[in-house]
Amino acid sequence: MSVELATRLIDILGALLLFTMLLILAAGQMYRAIYAVATQAVFLGVAGAVLGAATGNVDLWTIAAITIVVKAGLLPWLLIRVVRRVGISREIEPVIPTTITLAMAAAIVVLAFWLNASLGAVRQAITGNALPVGVALTLIGVLVMATRRKALVQMVGLFASENGIFFTAMAVSQGMPLIIEIGVILDVVLGALVMGILVLRVRSSVDDTDIADLENLKG
Amino acid sequence: MVWTGHLLVLAFSLVGGAGALGVLLKGAAPPLRVALPHLFPFATMSLAVDGLSAFFLLVIALVAAAAALYGPAYLDAHAKSPVVQTVSLGLFVACMAIVCCAADAMTFLLAWEGMTLASYVLVVIDMQSEENVRAGLLYLIMAHAGTAAILVAFLVLASHVSHAEAFDFTALRAAARDLDPTTRTTVFMLALAGFGAKAGVVPLHVWLPKAHPAAPSHASALMSGVMLKVAIYGILRFGFDLLLPAEGPLPASWGWTVLVIGTVSAVIGVLLALQQHELKRLLAFSSVENVGIILIGAGLAMLLCRGRGSQELATLALAAALLHALNHAAFKGLLFLGAGSVIHRTGIRNIDDLGGLARRMPWTAWLFLLGSVAIAALPPLNGFASEWMTFQALLLGGARLGGASGLLAGLAASMLALTGGLAAACFAKAFGVTFLGRTRSLQAERATESPAPMIAGMVLLGAACVGLGLAPGWALRLLDAPTAELSGIAASAVVTSQGPLVLSAGGGAEGLHATSISLTAVAAVFALLAAVAWVIRGWPRRAPSRLAPTWTCGMTPTSRFDYTGTAFAKPLRLIFAAVYRPSREIVKDVGSSPYVLRMLGYSGEVVDLAETVVYARFKRWVTVSAHAIRAHSTGRIHGYIGFVLATLVLALLLFAGARP
Amino acid sequence: MRIAQIALQTLLVLLLGPLVTGFIQKLKARLQCRAGASLWQPYRDLAKLLRKGTVQSDTASPFFRAVPVLVLAAIATAATLVPVLWAPAGSAHPRLGDAILLLALFALARFLLAIGALDAGGAFGGMGASREMTVGLLVEPALMMAVFSVGVAGGTTDLVDLAARRGAVEALAWQAPDLLAFFAVLILTIAETGRIPVDNPDTHLELTMLHEGMLLEHSGPGLACIALATHTKQLVILALVAALFFPLGLSPDAAPGHVALALAAFGAKVLALAVFLAVVESSYAKLRFFRVPQFLGLGLVCAFLALALRVL
Repeated sequence: MSVELATRLIDILGALLLFTMLLILAAGQMYRAIYAVATQAVFLGVAGAVLGAATGNVDLWTIAAITIVVKAGLLPWLLIRVVRRVGISREIEPVIPTTITLAMAAAIVVLAFWLNASLGAVRQAITGNALPVGVALTLIGVLVMATRRKALVQMVGLFASENGIFFTAMAVSQGMPLIIEIGVILDVVLGALVMGILVLRVRSSVDDTDIADLENLKG
Repeated sequence: MVWTGHLLVLAFSLVGGAGALGVLLKGAAPPLRVALPHLFPFATMSLAVDGLSAFFLLVIALVAAAAALYGPAYLDAHAKSPVVQTVSLGLFVACMAIVCCAADAMTFLLAWEGMTLASYVLVVIDMQSEENVRAGLLYLIMAHAGTAAILVAFLVLASHVSHAEAFDFTALRAAARDLDPTTRTTVFMLALAGFGAKAGVVPLHVWLPKAHPAAPSHASALMSGVMLKVAIYGILRFGFDLLLPAEGPLPASWGWTVLVIGTVSAVIGVLLALQQHELKRLLAFSSVENVGIILIGAGLAMLLCRGRGSQELATLALAAALLHALNHAAFKGLLFLGAGSVIHRTGIRNIDDLGGLARRMPWTAWLFLLGSVAIAALPPLNGFASEWMTFQALLLGGARLGGASGLLAGLAASMLALTGGLAAACFAKAFGVTFLGRTRSLQAERATESPAPMIAGMVLLGAACVGLGLAPGWALRLLDAPTAELSGIAASAVVTSQGPLVLSAGGGAEGLHATSISLTAVAAVFALLAAVAWVIRGWPRRAPSRLAPTWTCGMTPTSRFDYTGTAFAKPLRLIFAAVYRPSREIVKDVGSSPYVLRMLGYSGEVVDLAETVVYARFKRWVTVSAHAIRAHSTGRIHGYIGFVLATLVLALLLFAGARP
Repeated sequence: MRIAQIALQTLLVLLLGPLVTGFIQKLKARLQCRAGASLWQPYRDLAKLLRKGTVQSDTASPFFRAVPVLVLAAIATAATLVPVLWAPAGSAHPRLGDAILLLALFALARFLLAIGALDAGGAFGGMGASREMTVGLLVEPALMMAVFSVGVAGGTTDLVDLAARRGAVEALAWQAPDLLAFFAVLILTIAETGRIPVDNPDTHLELTMLHEGMLLEHSGPGLACIALATHTKQLVILALVAALFFPLGLSPDAAPGHVALALAAFGAKVLALAVFLAVVESSYAKLRFFRVPQFLGLGLVCAFLALALRVL
């Protein structure tokens, strides 16, 4: 695969990742957010495969496969199961209005590009604009966590943020060592399992999974 | 007396307009200078008419002629002190003309002050109304604060002039060439603040929607259409002429400040205009919006001129700003005269009490529609021509500047598109609720068409709107002289390079054709297609046409079914609630059971954030400080004399310390 | 020669508009497991309306009779600006207008319809006019930013020039900003063509009326003009999307082979976009009116990101 083609594909996949991130932000219902993060993981896997083909690094192929299986298959399935079991309302309630969150996301993207320019990082040979896009994705994932009430949506934000971290890693070092990647993914899976169990527990003893109720725990 | 006064104004404006046209079309020539009598020992006073002055003189002449035609018939009815009004009007127009022709700071400031005072008289002419008096007071305070800022700006510049003719513009220009950048920027910002207060940029616009509606309608037309432009003239004169550095581009902070306040004024102005239910207040807020649009073009020109962008693009932006100034004078003047015509015949200002006037006052209605289409920047009228040029300048300028600047230019362009849409909604509401539907009050029911001179004034401005839109090439020839002076290239060379009927914007990347549009051709195609559609529509048919009442779900239609202006603007009130902070109160009077409603009262309010956030706090701070200072006043004569002594000693010490 | 080309393109757009609407209706019906009306139903509707007489409101001014004609003229003028079949390179063509003028002509049509609706009086017209103007002005900034992001790359906003430049060589050279701008414009197309989830074009109930509310008082040939204008506007918007993002296959000259290819390409692009519209309409419910700004806000942010990725 030629370098130009790889660069263009990674640029386009970066744009698709940004778009799915916006869909997660703008999603009004749980299912839409979960499907969006699953699609995002698919795009990420494809990006990993393209980078692997361009650099000839076999590890990247493995990581791409694991990403697609775990983050586009297993974790969303887990989340959807929890949503069905818990039977919570499907609506995602934001803490601040959605339009403001969208504007903040746009500002974050501009900030990421400005940081990129002021740090003097040049457009990479293969990965192109992936660094600022990855940074933006990570930050917007954290924004999702900060502006949503329901615990499950915050999990979605965590997954999205982790997608962003992976994309950034791809940009900077052409993929992290395999062992670190597997470790990170295991951490995320563990976090999802813990959150799922907690939500089921909380649901059975308390009526809602609104994070704001945790505020009552302060001494 | 009233008639002669107005005819005098008309004559002077026709002569002045002809003279200005002569100067504009003559091409490159040194400005005419006329020395004035020596009023002050330390300054000579003179007038000079260069391209920029001539252009603004033309703007003044256009609206003044229409107002002079309109005035006598308007004042014939129940006007207060018509003689005083006529004299003030004449003085107002004369002072504005002198401001534009002034060639030294003293003439400028004297005429500026005269302009403020003459318009103040016109604002408070109806002294019975408490509101008018307060509006006049606010106007006076803000105008003088602005004048103070301009005065300080002139003084700072003059302090750098070493020889006697300190206040002459040529001397100031020469002194400014060697200023250090901080002083230069300070002077510009002071001038911007001073002229901005007069032009009505946000947040210094608070006086505008109170003062403009208070004045009689032809005076409002002059204030909105022309006085604001004179303030723009001041900004352009300072930014592009007096404060020009010897070489290199203008500081970027100037351009960005002007661009940003222009964008903010445009959006906030039209948002607030949408929620007004009083016709003249709506038009006043809309003036704030258009001043913002002019400043967008001016700010872009400041950013792009002299090497940073390209000189052609700067000329395009400047031409867009100047053309919009002329266009706005034409259509805002028309709209104010139309509003005055409505108020004159019905005595009602609230549009929710009007309605159905299109059949009773046809000329006023269709001329008002023409003005509305023009101000909403819809093709093929003049509002669209200048907004198109602004858009192209933003696109090409943004592409040329690149990076974050390009992104900000794109953002400004999308905000400009938003204001265009908001203006269309605003004037659909203003025209639709005032003139269409059923009549909602007895006065509207009994209204008749205005007398011919008033219509004549409106027709003059309407013809200007149509002419400027359909024949932009000739309009741009008027801009040649000012743009050649300010940015070095004549506007026609850039914008009508492909012929007089085609507007084109080039200067982008290399090897690219310019984007061109031809409003004349579009209008011709539109007319042709309309004719074809009319024929198809009028095809002979079997079933005849008939009249029937409007469908209101089977009930008898009354005027209570019509949508009011408040209802029309409700969706936007909710969508932009962050800007409006709307509040509403519903009062219900129920009968024996809670389901039987006897009376329902609804009242709603939107706030002008500038008033509540900025001015209320400022007023509170001033009052608190005044109280604190008052606590220290002793009430004894000796204390006060002691203060005077201390101030004199301090001033002498400072003066002695400042001497080298 | 060029004038003949423009006239032919406009006529084609005017004639094919109702067919596209018929196709979308048919596809929606099939997706909803109904047989649906025939593809040619919109033409029959237009013919029926042209045969009927007019019932006019007694409060309307004489302007009301002119509104349908002016609206149709405005939309048809907009149709002359999009490159449908021909995109000759160079300055060979007479200059009419660019993308900004096209959007402004749509705004003119919307303004005239709103005025006409307020003319007849009554609450339906007022509500429809108010809501349609609101949605229209929320679409404007996003569309302008999307046009800018494409225009900055091409250096011009003239649609024919843009298409000619990007057509042959760089057709497959899509970049990231193009993709985001395309998604933004797809979202805005739904709003501009008045389809679910923004508006429901099939009903005349108060709750779903944005566009339809304004048309309530028109009848007979006037309504036929407005219906034709609506169909044409839809096709012009689809052609605009095609010209901005997929300017493939446009013929640079009058050779019959090129023209046939251009016609086939245009048909394919419009078909794909029509399928998209029909699928979206069948998959989503209409949004509550005060959620539409959020939906359009997504389009605005996409367009903003497209511009950001282009210039930064």
